Amino acid sequence: MPGLYSAVVREVSERALDAASAAGASYADCRVVNRTVQKLTVKNGVVASVELLEDEGVGIRVIADGAWGFAAVDVLDAAAVEDAARHAVRIARASSRVNRVAVRLAPAPALTGEYRTPVVRDPFTVSLDDKVDLLMRTDAAMALLPQVRIRECSLEFVREQRHFASSEGAVLDQTIVESGGGLDATATSDDEVQTRSFPNSFGRHQICAGWEAIEDFDLPGNAGRIAEEAVALLTADPCPAGTMTVILDATQAAMQVHESCGHPTELDRVLGHEAAYAGTSFLTPDLLGTFRYGSEQVTLTADSTRAPGLGTFGWDDEGVAAQRSVLVDQGVFSGYLSSRETAAAIGQLSNGTMRADGWSRLPIIRMTNINLEPGTSSLEEMIATTEHGVFLETNRSWSIDDRRLNFQFGTQNGWEIVDGKRTRLVRNPIYSGQTPEFWRSCDAVAGPAEWRMWGVVNCGKGQPSQLMHVGHGAAPCRFRNVRVEPAR
Amino acid sequence: MSGPELLAIGDRALSRLERGEAEVMIIDDHSELTRFAGNEIHQSVAERSRFVRVRLVHDGRCGVGEVRGHGEHAVEQALAAAEQSRRVTSVAEVSPLPQPDGGADGTVAYAKATAAATPQERADRVSIVTSAAARRNLDAYGALSTTTTTTAIVSSAGVRRAATTTQASLVTVVRGSEGGGYASRHSSDINALEVGDLAAEVVDTCERNQHATAIDPGDYEVVLSPYAVTDMLEHLAWVGFSALATQEHRSFMKMGERLMNERVTIRDDATAREVFPFPFDDEGVSARPVTLIDHGVCAGVVYDTPTALRDGVASTGHSLPQPNTWGPLARHMTMDGGDIPWRDLVASVSRGLYVTRFWYVRDVHPLRTVITGMTREGTFMIENGTITRPVKDLRFTQSIVGALDAVSGVSRERRLELGEGASGVLSPWLQIGRFTFTS
Repeated sequence: MPGLYSAVVREVSERALDAASAAGASYADCRVVNRTVQKLTVKNGVVASVELLEDEGVGIRVIADGAWGFAAVDVLDAAAVEDAARHAVRIARASSRVNRVAVRLAPAPALTGEYRTPVVRDPFTVSLDDKVDLLMRTDAAMALLPQVRIRECSLEFVREQRHFASSEGAVLDQTIVESGGGLDATATSDDEVQTRSFPNSFGRHQICAGWEAIEDFDLPGNAGRIAEEAVALLTADPCPAGTMTVILDATQAAMQVHESCGHPTELDRVLGHEAAYAGTSFLTPDLLGTFRYGSEQVTLTADSTRAPGLGTFGWDDEGVAAQRSVLVDQGVFSGYLSSRETAAAIGQLSNGTMRADGWSRLPIIRMTNINLEPGTSSLEEMIATTEHGVFLETNRSWSIDDRRLNFQFGTQNGWEIVDGKRTRLVRNPIYSGQTPEFWRSCDAVAGPAEWRMWGVVNCGKGQPSQLMHVGHGAAPCRFRNVRVEPAR
Repeated sequence: MSGPELLAIGDRALSRLERGEAEVMIIDDHSELTRFAGNEIHQSVAERSRFVRVRLVHDGRCGVGEVRGHGEHAVEQALAAAEQSRRVTSVAEVSPLPQPDGGADGTVAYAKATAAATPQERADRVSIVTSAAARRNLDAYGALSTTTTTTAIVSSAGVRRAATTTQASLVTVVRGSEGGGYASRHSSDINALEVGDLAAEVVDTCERNQHATAIDPGDYEVVLSPYAVTDMLEHLAWVGFSALATQEHRSFMKMGERLMNERVTIRDDATAREVFPFPFDDEGVSARPVTLIDHGVCAGVVYDTPTALRDGVASTGHSLPQPNTWGPLARHMTMDGGDIPWRDLVASVSRGLYVTRFWYVRDVHPLRTVITGMTREGTFMIENGTITRPVKDLRFTQSIVGALDAVSGVSRERRLELGEGASGVLSPWLQIGRFTFTS
């Protein structure tokens, strides 16, 4: 593999841009991406899999005759890349025959530079043996409880090298490093199955960092406690039903932000680009600056400069610099996630949220780090000042309508709160609501001490489908008058 | 590259093997997709790639290396990665590489027209939809994709399988100022997509779905279109039709027990021409038809080699790439049709709902097959046997098994639809006596 910043990569991208220009493109950009992934999984005391993945290729995006075209090829061969560039122009020309309106891009400076994820210890320098050993110790801690019938823990490490060059003169090189890990303990009885996860559900928690992140997670040290919680859930009472106060732990708050703030602020959805698949948004441009999205406690930001989120980088995938934008300012809807094309449609500049799933996919608007800014409360204080409600931990199910209004979430467990005290463990809780009403009912957000950056590694969007890794800074938060019930 | 060419690459990889056994999977993919919004093509893309996966087994250890890109060096790199991986895995009961089963690489979904489709040909078909919408002052959104995939698997155990398939899919939403409609068509042959019929269907649904009014949530009798039925069947495959799910006691399946209405028969049949037939699984084992639900009775689950060994049976040819922790998967499901037209199902409902499609369906309680999701782009009131008026989208929270137990009618007509997980499912319209909408 040639190094990312090698002469080979630079020549390939220059040849691609030249070929696109010669074929008639009025704009072109080229991304060369090399992704290395290590995935290790231990299940029920056995190393179930150790998968080592290498993925490399080139994606060329062009505008020709006023329309977009994109072609990708998996070889760093100048002739193949030139062919792909010419094919991208053919695609654009075919599209232009249907279209009435030419693509227009908001201006952006042509930048040059390098960015690397700051890491204390490169996870790829840690031996596979050491990684397996950590997982086996995690598994052993869960194995102490026989009712935990399915034990699974995993680690994942990603190194992505990205080279971006555009016909406007941008040349950008980035190396992004991610480290992730997690465990699932599943307990079963004759009529129930309950899973508890740590640090988060969906297999793992992941951030842009090195091996130090895995040490900080302390999977072996938490495995026994999580396994005990899974067993306890088998016989826990069903979650109470009714309209009550809900306190979300930080991981579920992150998921709530993801679905009900991150996605509806994507400007491509607002403009209809995703209408046939991911959907649209209730946050239409006429609401910008005036619509009360939430209470004054609610400030939400998009911040791709904030380490160690999975949406932290130097530049997005059309060369716009990482930046912080306010989406909801003390409850008022204030901004979108945008691209050069969509920003131009509403008379703004891009705020740098175009991201592609590897070399073979077209960059589209994606969340970066969408954060619920810390408040001044604490989990302890929120519980102490709650007469009756539930404290809900760790996402289990999530669903929201195509405009991002009507949602229902389930969590792995809940704790009933009575007269300011956490009382009994309850199982199968679900809560539901409408996005603005829900966020307007938020009366407390915990402060910086309980605020943490969480990672979502399974955010799907686009056709062909793209999976994106995004970050969410969040802290425990409280909502009043929420509909809660047990899954039946 | 052709199947024989990929097999030759796999053979060369095996010849480099110094010790142990190996399985080499090579997938060549050429995909193009044209996406449209507001009657304009806003994204159109093409991708060519080769994926090489090596499973290496030696001394009771198994390693996996995967490489996409790297041209001629891909196989070498995958072999080296697999050996690196193998060295750190624990000595355990490694699932053996399957032996050749004599299966033929015959029936596959392939059409030259799809493999050769150009961006212009896709744009021409898209314009049929956008023009139909524009004529009615509506806006069309959607995507037309064409994919050609050649898969080859060779192994030290003697497996040599290869097949080339094509797939064309057109998915559309047409929107007016106060509502939208949905339609899709899928086929191995782009010329069989019936684009004109699709355009008429989606425009008609959109025009009927304007100015929807809200109704109270609650239990309703429903007629679900195949688009919605497909989502339910795909979720059953994920949570219960796998042998691993039954072995781990997390499946709803109780063999021999009747859990659903006798009108319900669900099969997985990778040889069926209607559901993108494919001759072998990701271990190169021939895919056998499996009856999953037989007239409402739990009849079978799908197996891969590890789960089959555990139960002392033969693999049914439903493996995902090995080793994995997910287990086998039914990816070619069909539900038997009934004997009456779907419109007669509607005619027999005195008060209920017609649901065009579901959206964002997620498992709430997998063991109980409880799912939640929204209706989308075409939910209508049925009154006295007639679809009368559109209603606003509703959230449902419902056990799939419970819904299939309450089936009171199955249509003669069936449609191929792709689920969210991209499985091809051949589904009928279903009349269900009670379906729970929660908000």
